[in-house]
Amino acid sequence: MTAGRLERLGSYGVLTLFSLLAIYPILSILFLALHKKTDLVTGFAFPTHLDLSSFKAAWTEGRFGTGFLSSFIVAATVTVVSAVLSIGTGYAFGTMRFLGDRIVFPIILLGIIFPYEATVIPLYYDFQDVPLIHLHLLNTYWALILPQIGQSVAFGTFWMRAFFRSTPRSLIEAARIDGATSFGVLWRVLLPQARPAVLTMSVLVFTYTWNEFLLALVLVSGSQSHQTAPLGLSFFAGAVRAGDPTKVAAAAVLVAAPILVVYLFLQRHFVRGMLAGAIKE
Amino acid sequence: MGGIRLDGATKVYPNGVTAVEAVSLEIPDGEFMVLVGPSGCGKSTLLRMIAGLEHVTEGRIFIGDEDVTSVQPRARDIAMVFQNYALYPQMTVEDNLGFGLKLRRVRKNERERRVTDVARILGLDTLMARKPAALSGGQRQRVAMGRAMVREPKAFLMDEPLSNLDAKLRVTMRGELARLHDRLGVTTVYVTHDQVEAMTLGQRVAVLRDGVLQQCDTPQNLFHHPANLFVAAFMGSPSMNLVDAAVERDRVTFAGFSLPLPDDSPLAGETREAILGIRPTDLRHSREASPELPRITVRADVVEELGGVSNLLFLLDAPRVVTDATRAAAEAGSDDEGTLLADDQRARFCASVDGRRNVDVGEEVELAIDNTHLHFFDADTGRVLGDSTIPA
Repeated sequence: MTAGRLERLGSYGVLTLFSLLAIYPILSILFLALHKKTDLVTGFAFPTHLDLSSFKAAWTEGRFGTGFLSSFIVAATVTVVSAVLSIGTGYAFGTMRFLGDRIVFPIILLGIIFPYEATVIPLYYDFQDVPLIHLHLLNTYWALILPQIGQSVAFGTFWMRAFFRSTPRSLIEAARIDGATSFGVLWRVLLPQARPAVLTMSVLVFTYTWNEFLLALVLVSGSQSHQTAPLGLSFFAGAVRAGDPTKVAAAAVLVAAPILVVYLFLQRHFVRGMLAGAIKE
Repeated sequence: MGGIRLDGATKVYPNGVTAVEAVSLEIPDGEFMVLVGPSGCGKSTLLRMIAGLEHVTEGRIFIGDEDVTSVQPRARDIAMVFQNYALYPQMTVEDNLGFGLKLRRVRKNERERRVTDVARILGLDTLMARKPAALSGGQRQRVAMGRAMVREPKAFLMDEPLSNLDAKLRVTMRGELARLHDRLGVTTVYVTHDQVEAMTLGQRVAVLRDGVLQQCDTPQNLFHHPANLFVAAFMGSPSMNLVDAAVERDRVTFAGFSLPLPDDSPLAGETREAILGIRPTDLRHSREASPELPRITVRADVVEELGGVSNLLFLLDAPRVVTDATRAAAEAGSDDEGTLLADDQRARFCASVDGRRNVDVGEEVELAIDNTHLHFFDADTGRVLGDSTIPA
């Protein structure tokens, strides 16, 4: 289709506008972080010189070393465990019929629909003394890992089921006739094709878990060594709020950086995964 | 190798729909059996039951001497070729071919030998390192076939394997398939909705309708001795001409025409109503037919010149025969029929005559009817009348 000149200008105009809207706050924070407190800037300001001292100060004063480690332990565990579980559940729901499949799947979906904020307070009381096994999980990594695996598997099941449903049935059947077991079909035939879908799911879960704040605030704020990066950022911002906006900005950039890196590396797969099943060859 | 035996095989889906109803069929070792019927007749379901991909509700299935009714597909020792080929997209042609052998733990040198052999037979040697996405339709088809062949199974099951190819390639591949079967001699069950494919490939053809086996016989017998109205209307292209008729001892009357019946004609001597069936090829130009044959004069409504043969379509002064059977057969779509005439409620006939004689639309033509090859069917049951070769 050939669009008229005016039409094309119009679309570029709209795209430019929205790109600017998306990138403005990010640039604003980044530029602020590149200043020093003595520069006395707050809003959008182009840095006149490259100064990384705010970053260094924020990293040490905010004890982000510990925060990053905690966040990484939690996010990586949640991502890996929920990916493995979701591939299993998605495979089952997407390709098999079994007793109760139509009842169990909507129950799992509740995990996505139900506002997780509502679970935080009950979790606090449960983790003081876990029913039946009497474990105290508050202020441990488990308090962050277990509930988030629960949530992520709900999403992951939904995601992987959609992928497995979109693969042609005859492929599974051909493999079964060729001699593959159920696990063989998954491992040798479906998973090699599922890479974009699995990567996309992992990035989404990792991002979500890395950025999680409320659970960390309620369940691990009692232990400084377990605090996650976003929680640390919040405390740091609270403590230095009146003092130095450039340090807060630097801390914010630091906390967001891993996500940005992951996204940039996997961007191609990410978009392909998003489209998986949307278009047919 | 082994034959396949179906013993009252029935498939009822959980929603209560019966897809296959008590089909009993014996396919001897090495036979090429074609399952044919309009879409939704249960032929694919039946094939999938043999493969073990569909649960059998009732009845039994035997492959070789073994009852495989509740055996997993991988343990049935059969290979299947799918309509969309179902090649593993991430594997090369070579890996696709060898996958089944690898899963069955066939030793590596044996595996390589068999893969290379099959690749050579099918001309895939130069494509071994390619992935399916880089192959043409015909090449994919060959890989799918090769994947079945390397397994050296008891039987091949093929689910409309040619329907994704373009028309010309389909004809070539049809011939190749027949040659391949001659060479390997492996029991083959082949599903198609295309009755031309069924006629040309099958040593025997099983016609299905609504999950019920209508008739199973050689292509020649199906064509010349159809057991009922559905088989008569479904097999053959253009399809059989049908019209309500009255038989009175030695004459049959239809649409204002009256023909003498030879003494050995199915209904000679009886007096009753019936549906008369005449193959388009049993109508000929008057001047080319034997003088003993009766003549009718008709006005050509549509002339389809195919070169060697011309199809003359004309309307009879009688209502169209519309029964469930003819409707079901027509849905399968032999596209040679004059759709222009479809709105007309009169019976339309087709005569396949010598194409060298030019006939204009609207021209009156005298046609000879070969009255030794008339078919009669019961209007209520659809069963053929008076054909002694068909068991009642």
